[in-house]
Amino acid sequence: MTGGVDRDAQPAASGGLRAAARRRGGWVWWWAVAAAGAALPWLFPSIAHRNLLVLAGINAILVTSLDLLIGYAGLLSLGHAGFWGIGAYTSAALVADYGAPFPLALLAAGALAAACGLFIGYPSLRLRSHYFVLVTFITGIVITLLLTSLVGLTRGPMGLPGIPFATLSLPRVFTYTFNTFRSKVGYYYLVLACLLGALALKEWVGRSRMGRALVALREDEDLAAAVGIDTHRYKLLAFGMSTAMAGIAGSLYAHYTTFLSPDGFTFVTSFDLFVMDMVGGAGTAAGPLIGPALLTTLRDLLRSISPVLAEIVFGVFLIVTIAFFPAGLVGAWRALRAGRAWSRP
Amino acid sequence: MDIAVQLLVNGIFISSLYALVALGLTLIFGVMGIADFAQGALYMLGAYVAFYVTRLWGLSYFLSLPCAMLAAGAIGVLDHLVVYRPLRRHGGATTFVAALGILLILQNAALWTFGGQFKLLRSPFGDAKLTILGAVVTYHQAFVMLVTAALIGGVWLFLKRTKPGKALRAMSQNPEAAQLVGISGARLATATFAIAGALAGAAGALISPMQAFDPNIGALVILKSFAITIFGGMGSVPGAIGGALVVGLAETAATAYLAAEYADLVAFALMIAIMFVRPQGLFRRAAPA
Repeated sequence: MTGGVDRDAQPAASGGLRAAARRRGGWVWWWAVAAAGAALPWLFPSIAHRNLLVLAGINAILVTSLDLLIGYAGLLSLGHAGFWGIGAYTSAALVADYGAPFPLALLAAGALAAACGLFIGYPSLRLRSHYFVLVTFITGIVITLLLTSLVGLTRGPMGLPGIPFATLSLPRVFTYTFNTFRSKVGYYYLVLACLLGALALKEWVGRSRMGRALVALREDEDLAAAVGIDTHRYKLLAFGMSTAMAGIAGSLYAHYTTFLSPDGFTFVTSFDLFVMDMVGGAGTAAGPLIGPALLTTLRDLLRSISPVLAEIVFGVFLIVTIAFFPAGLVGAWRALRAGRAWSRP
Repeated sequence: MDIAVQLLVNGIFISSLYALVALGLTLIFGVMGIADFAQGALYMLGAYVAFYVTRLWGLSYFLSLPCAMLAAGAIGVLDHLVVYRPLRRHGGATTFVAALGILLILQNAALWTFGGQFKLLRSPFGDAKLTILGAVVTYHQAFVMLVTAALIGGVWLFLKRTKPGKALRAMSQNPEAAQLVGISGARLATATFAIAGALAGAAGALISPMQAFDPNIGALVILKSFAITIFGGMGSVPGAIGGALVVGLAETAATAYLAAEYADLVAFALMIAIMFVRPQGLFRRAAPA
């Protein structure tokens, strides 16, 4: 089996009725997230809180994309921040240097990140277990090194300031610039829309033939291959989708903060994203929302005490989660409701 | 000629430090199947223990070396008992992430307690140096190489001659068979972590008078050592030592003839390439040790 995330097995769909209810339930849940997400900025009018909302939203997109790999395919990727960075720098360069319209830059960021993902994924997805994790880990480090050393493109460790705000325009009809320094709400809705898109894509993949193939190969790769699933192709497809989403999240991040530096895209960030997914609950619907929301807030709170404290707490969270709550908070909640002890492997 | 000899000496010096960390890594990987990145934190800890033992307690640097080994070995065993043992039923990928978690926890804990400023120890040999074949070697460099040789020799003898050493080799060749003939996996694993931690701690203490250090030094060293175990084949002891020589010499040459940041890039690119082509390592994984 590739990757070693242990989790509660998905409840077997016993009978068509229950499966149908679950299917409908998934989309009801999606609409609930949309409604709650739309209401959130009105519950938190302060600019600091809204800033957190935007960042948590971007993190949620990243963690959702990561969960496509961890939750469905059992592929542990530790280089995700690298692909995020590729998207961020691509979009920033396209808009700032070439005057590309923002929506195009957003898509290009996703496309280039996915291209890099496929380039790395094609050979590395043939590797099993920790070898794959290691290759993604080193890939992330190599990307950070490149972002630091290709000074001509990225301005290296000095950082890239003055990235233009995102602008949506239809010639002669309207132009809207998301000035994120003045108001966060507009941009928040843009992020929310992308997040809902990411969630929908993940939901759709989960119900498709591809999702079933991924779950099958997660449980037993040899068996999946033996029954005729082209495991490498499906893994590659998932990896491409996931890195594309990460690239789009990068574009969203670049035009939000308007400043990029390689420090933001190191393996520590990849690790944090991983922790968010595990703590929320890998392979669950709500996990990739709960994890980022909780930990982005927690990081912000801890930062006021000491900036190094957050990483210590994240590390402890990760180990405790793997050891005692393999399905994260969502799994723990489910286990509690099912009235049994903490889910242990 | 002189430059070549000098580069060779510097390369061997760096290699000897990498060899110590890589040796511990490869032993742990052989016995437990864990890519233990937390060893990087033990290396960092070794440097800090040496620093505080000599500076605050006024002990001799030579005494601080065993102190660093003891402390790092103890923390290594603690990692094992608190984290890896409870997680031992999980796959290699999950424990790897946990190891990374420990590295970040220890690194940031060090940042919190020791602060982020660089520290440097004074070598007991001062700046004394000797010249061999036109190459300049400081006494401390020579001391480091001697201690490394002694430690590696000690591990080698332990693996070849003693009963627990043989058990350790048996365990890394075939865990099931080893347990079947009555080798206690649990005790052996603890011993392996103690040895590996002590080696990493020794490496950290040895480098502390040579190079200014901060809590982040462990991360790069563990990556390099990891590259070495991959070059050498994970779990192979001669592979770790040979790999350390290859990486150390290549790195010295690359820093001399190329920019330093590209040296790192080349090393990592090579590492990925090797994992694709020969995941068992460059030197064939025959019987370890």
